[in-house]
Amino acid sequence: MRISAIAHEAPTIDEVETDPDADAVAVDGGEDPARLEALAGRMNRIVIRFPTFKDGRGFSLAARLREHAGYEGELQAAGDILPDQARHLIRVGFDAAAPDELTPAWERAATRPVRVYQPTGVDARSAAAERAQAGRARKVASLNVLFKDASPEEVLRHALADKSLGRIAALSSFGVESAVLLHLIAEIDANAPVLFLETGRHFPQTLQYKDALIERLALTNVIDLAPTPAELARHDAGGDLWRRDPDKCCDIRKVRPLSEQLRGLDALITGRKRVHGAERAQLERFELVDGVIRVNPLAEWSYEEIEEHARLHELPQHPLREMGYLSVGCWTCTEPAKTRDDPRSGRWSGSEKTECGIHGKPPEPELETSLS
Amino acid sequence: MYKYDAIDRALVDERVEEFRDQVSRRLSGELSEDQFKPLRLMNGVYLQLHAYMLRVAIPYGVLSAKQLRALADIARRYDRGYGHFTTRQNIQFNWPSLIDIPEILERLADVEMHAIQTSGNCIRNTTMDPFAGAAADEVEDPRPWCELIRQWSTLHPEFTYLPRKFKIAVTGAPSDRAAIRAHDIGLRVVRNDEGETGFEVFAGGGLGRTPRIGVKLTDFVDGRDLLAYLTSILRVYNLAGRRDNLYKARIKILVESMGADAFRDEVEATFAQLRGGVHLTPREEIDRIRSFFPPPLAPANDVAEGSAPSRPGFNRWLLRNVAAHKVNGLASAIISLKPIGGSPGDATADQMDAVAALAEKYAGGEIRVTKEQNLVLPHVPRGYLPKLYDALFDIGLATPNAGEATDIVSCPGLDYCNLANARSIPVAQAISHRLSADGLSDQAGDLTIKISGCINACGHHHIADIGLLGVDKRGEEHYQLTLGGSGTEDAAIGQIVGPGLSGENVPEAVARVVAAYLELRISASEKFSQTLRRTGSEPFKEAVYAH
Amino acid sequence: MMVITANRLNDGRVVYRAESGAWTRALEEAQRFADEVAACSALKSAEADAGAAVGPYLIETDEGAPSGKKIVRETIRLSGPSAGTTKLSVQDANHV
Repeated sequence: MRISAIAHEAPTIDEVETDPDADAVAVDGGEDPARLEALAGRMNRIVIRFPTFKDGRGFSLAARLREHAGYEGELQAAGDILPDQARHLIRVGFDAAAPDELTPAWERAATRPVRVYQPTGVDARSAAAERAQAGRARKVASLNVLFKDASPEEVLRHALADKSLGRIAALSSFGVESAVLLHLIAEIDANAPVLFLETGRHFPQTLQYKDALIERLALTNVIDLAPTPAELARHDAGGDLWRRDPDKCCDIRKVRPLSEQLRGLDALITGRKRVHGAERAQLERFELVDGVIRVNPLAEWSYEEIEEHARLHELPQHPLREMGYLSVGCWTCTEPAKTRDDPRSGRWSGSEKTECGIHGKPPEPELETSLS
Repeated sequence: MYKYDAIDRALVDERVEEFRDQVSRRLSGELSEDQFKPLRLMNGVYLQLHAYMLRVAIPYGVLSAKQLRALADIARRYDRGYGHFTTRQNIQFNWPSLIDIPEILERLADVEMHAIQTSGNCIRNTTMDPFAGAAADEVEDPRPWCELIRQWSTLHPEFTYLPRKFKIAVTGAPSDRAAIRAHDIGLRVVRNDEGETGFEVFAGGGLGRTPRIGVKLTDFVDGRDLLAYLTSILRVYNLAGRRDNLYKARIKILVESMGADAFRDEVEATFAQLRGGVHLTPREEIDRIRSFFPPPLAPANDVAEGSAPSRPGFNRWLLRNVAAHKVNGLASAIISLKPIGGSPGDATADQMDAVAALAEKYAGGEIRVTKEQNLVLPHVPRGYLPKLYDALFDIGLATPNAGEATDIVSCPGLDYCNLANARSIPVAQAISHRLSADGLSDQAGDLTIKISGCINACGHHHIADIGLLGVDKRGEEHYQLTLGGSGTEDAAIGQIVGPGLSGENVPEAVARVVAAYLELRISASEKFSQTLRRTGSEPFKEAVYAH
Repeated sequence: MMVITANRLNDGRVVYRAESGAWTRALEEAQRFADEVAACSALKSAEADAGAAVGPYLIETDEGAPSGKKIVRETIRLSGPSAGTTKLSVQDANHV
């Protein structure tokens, strides 16, 4: 939190309401939240004054701005505030403070607390989440030990038939390698939910293939996840976002619809494999991504094993396979693979981008894993 | 019982160090009393008539034997050998020195206790049915949910500077032993058709100067959304509650002035924003907390047989102080802290140690504190009851009066409290002597008497069959008499029946009310409240004032 | 007569202000004021001396004992709680 001796000068809410160009406002903690939220969208800076440190309205006003109105600009607390309150100010969303009495204690106080019990709109950390995360990490570690030498069928049976990971679904791109995983799943439970990210930009061949596989494997629970029309209208009204900002495009077409779905799930089965290389070279059979267990039954399979399985069970091929596509995403961002050794080389070709983001972004700064 | 993990421990330890620093800044003069006061209050430290008072939170009224021993040790080492159990299921020490308090807090932290938020305009310790996990009529054990609320409300960034203090009560049973409608928020555990746990939610109840019965906000909130719902209520209150008048700052006044429907709409609108987001409690956390509260086991056969008591009066104690349990072969035993003529709610360090030992020997080591200022051993094998009785008898804790007229609830009053207008404890003592002398208490059976020494109503006089409120009348202690209050599922506020009484007339007036009830009731099974409803207050008024 | 009282900062005990400006536990050692103006000016200096005692205020006394409207409260502050704690015989306690 930035600490300063003097609060920012900003017009009053009355002035701001009649000045369409204003981008800053100063209010008392007692201001009507609805009135403030109505103009928060065009503000870059909001100052909330505390008439006395005992008047805690400013805390809830800040929480509402951040949590209800989605305000992302600067939020400064000013007035009669104590250094002992700094941790609370930070956690409800203030990123600046200008106390009437700037004592040395403020210097120590102005950092975010390390441990917290409850989540807030701007700080989702909580003791409960930390514990749940630690519990799941332990579970993932022991699953990797238990299933070290298990076959993909055994892994899937554990996940699907025994339901031992909780609520689970599989994610499939219905791409060139998808048939094998879907076949293994269908053998155990053809009614298992299979999620498909309907970006609206798939090759028609992919959609045909999807129908063909559903029929061949008798899958009964394939769920299309699509971005909402409102999201598309807001971010990609011209339909050219993929060219302007491919990360953002993946975000609204894939990452967001999937994470919405993942809120109701404990685990997700994917078809990722180590042989995909890059971020996937160290892939474990079980991993934890954003609190959800990812099950990767085919993590250690080679292309030969995949092809052998497909041949043995006479699984249909993706129509684009013959044309040199070894990894298929949206038509806007997929070309045939450059080499057989790097099947994903046709994805986001000509850019640094290698993953769309749905497989999480743990250790900063670069992405760790990504989508098949 | 819940056990701290590294996170709980670190948070409490950090707080002890923070307060140690604040005390030393105060003693060195760096902090003025004005600056220090809100900081000490957030740690349960009051300055009362004779000394500082430290109020220690007993989380939702649940204690382990080890914790009770630690309280005894604190009473002996830093206080005058006793503590006072309060109507908020907490304990107060009346004589600690400020310079000792950081060390006391450290000792409390050692046994996973603290005094955080036992005062101040913040969310206080949760009130709970003291028979949780034991009561025969329970839908679900509410303890895990109270623990969830404890953690959520502790050091809450948004709700530490509320308009006024804030109290939440939880019951897991249809019978209300937590006075949920006399709290700012009342929660009752319910199950929906799918068998999922949720809560019926009330808000806007409270005692004090303007007693109100809480109104229902919703029939069902999913357990995982409970904290989002509580956040919504608190957010609406924190923004809209009055701050210009101390006496109109509680949520009950806001609910009343907005109207229940408008208040509910605001809460629901906020809840619609918060539901399902970061405030959703992970299933694992609920399961984790639940794992600390396993259901009690039925006793082994040889225990069930029991033995004969060797001290007199066992049957009467069995009748008054033993409650039915959900598990066959177990019972809940109430340890009355209301000896005839004693100080309600007080226990000596020796008694605390003795109860801790008995809890370990006969009751799985768990003790509850009730808002009636008694203790409960929730899970006692029935076969142990005679031995338990003998042992309690020998330490003076076998008074067979639970729920009777001599089981008087009383705040500390003017003998200790800075806010009080009149004394409470000596009045309770005199009434207790008077009602026991000619067997009135005994004959009347279930009957509640509660005394508050000022309008803040810590003695809960509003929700007693017979309530007494101390007032200062031109330098003299006077007492207003109210009749017909109730804090259970038929919650009601007692009504004043006539002019205030001087202290020395109170015991006789109360005795006349009890005698009138005995005369008016149709049968021994007609409760005081039923008789009062049937006859009206006139005959009682006559009994008190016609002399 | 009037006397200045407060609670001692470090342990909260009841204290009275002596003529020297020191705080004493004994009411009989307290400085007595017949004159309200003099009492108020002494109270002002007591308030300034916030490092030793908290919340000084004036009480009425008569022949060395609390008197006036707050007689009950100030007598209790002087002599301790009027109620017993739990010092009852076991027999009394069990009501047998």
